[in-house]
Amino acid sequence: MDQLRTDEDQQLVARTQDGNAGAFDQLVVKYTPRLYGLVYNMTSNHEDTNDLLQDIFSKAYKSIRGFRGKSSFYTWIHSIAVNMTLNFLKKRGRRFHLSLDDVDASVQNDKEFLEVTQTSSPVREADLSELQRRLNEAMMKLSDEHRAVVTMFHIQGMPHAEISKILNVSEGTVRSRLFYANRQLQNYLDEFRKNPVT
Amino acid sequence: MEEFDNNEIGRLLRLKRYEQPPPGYFENFLHEFHRRQRDELLRQPLWKIALGRAQDFMMSLNVARIASYPVAVTAVLLCAAVISLKIYQTTPAPNVARLSPIVPAQQTTEGGWSLAAPVSTRITVSQPRTHLSTHRTTTPPRYVLDSMPVSYESSLRF
Repeated sequence: MDQLRTDEDQQLVARTQDGNAGAFDQLVVKYTPRLYGLVYNMTSNHEDTNDLLQDIFSKAYKSIRGFRGKSSFYTWIHSIAVNMTLNFLKKRGRRFHLSLDDVDASVQNDKEFLEVTQTSSPVREADLSELQRRLNEAMMKLSDEHRAVVTMFHIQGMPHAEISKILNVSEGTVRSRLFYANRQLQNYLDEFRKNPVT
Repeated sequence: MEEFDNNEIGRLLRLKRYEQPPPGYFENFLHEFHRRQRDELLRQPLWKIALGRAQDFMMSLNVARIASYPVAVTAVLLCAAVISLKIYQTTPAPNVARLSPIVPAQQTTEGGWSLAAPVSTRITVSQPRTHLSTHRTTTPPRYVLDSMPVSYESSLRF
């Protein structure tokens, strides 16, 4: 499946490098939802995510002639997205507000949602929007680098090896960041468990 | 009291996948991308657009491959020209702008030559400096050849 994805991407990249803008459009359509999730969960702001995503694809289009295929297009475009988002977050600093997307109603039928709400008392007691707010607050308490790893691993389901390639760090660093971030999230969500209404 | 473990945190975070942008956002994204690209292009100065077009055109022609042979030939010719210039520049210097001897011949014979005595000291002793500077007025340096080519001589004499 991964090989198929890579081959298809390589063909589209080669056609784009030959001047076929339509091929790049196909890459944009293909990667927009995935990159949206990555950037959105790092910024917790829909408008910022939209602007960043436009800039990310614009930069990718300008740089694609220099793409030599040493890594897959998937890794390359994710690296651009993560680096640009981290730069943006550094500039933004602490001056931001949450602008959250609505939770899709289909979450009520999600097996994992049912499991979480049935087994965990604080989650069971909280409504969905409160849970979303708490989760995002917990995420925003993490450093930008830790949030990036948590987003890619827990939310996007990427393996450690892929994350290490995207961030250009060792797998050990990825695991260590993940361990530290999980502990911080645990601490924050435990406060939520103790004081569910605050 | 139960605590959130890693699995539970993972499950909770995966629920964030359900946070989705407004309906139609992904469908309109490409359209918005094209619009922004056009706007960006229009904001660029004309020379930058022309340069970009020229670069694209060159890339489509694969100029690097086409131009490699003429560039190599030109480089060889340039090298040959530089080398030949260097060779011809090593010819003897022309016999021009020679000064008359600083010290008159009779004075050198008077004092007699001695290898031990430095030349400058001997000149200072035998000739005052004022005399050294004035000899130029008596025998000015000559920067022209003795004979003038025939073609330079004026045919009309008045």
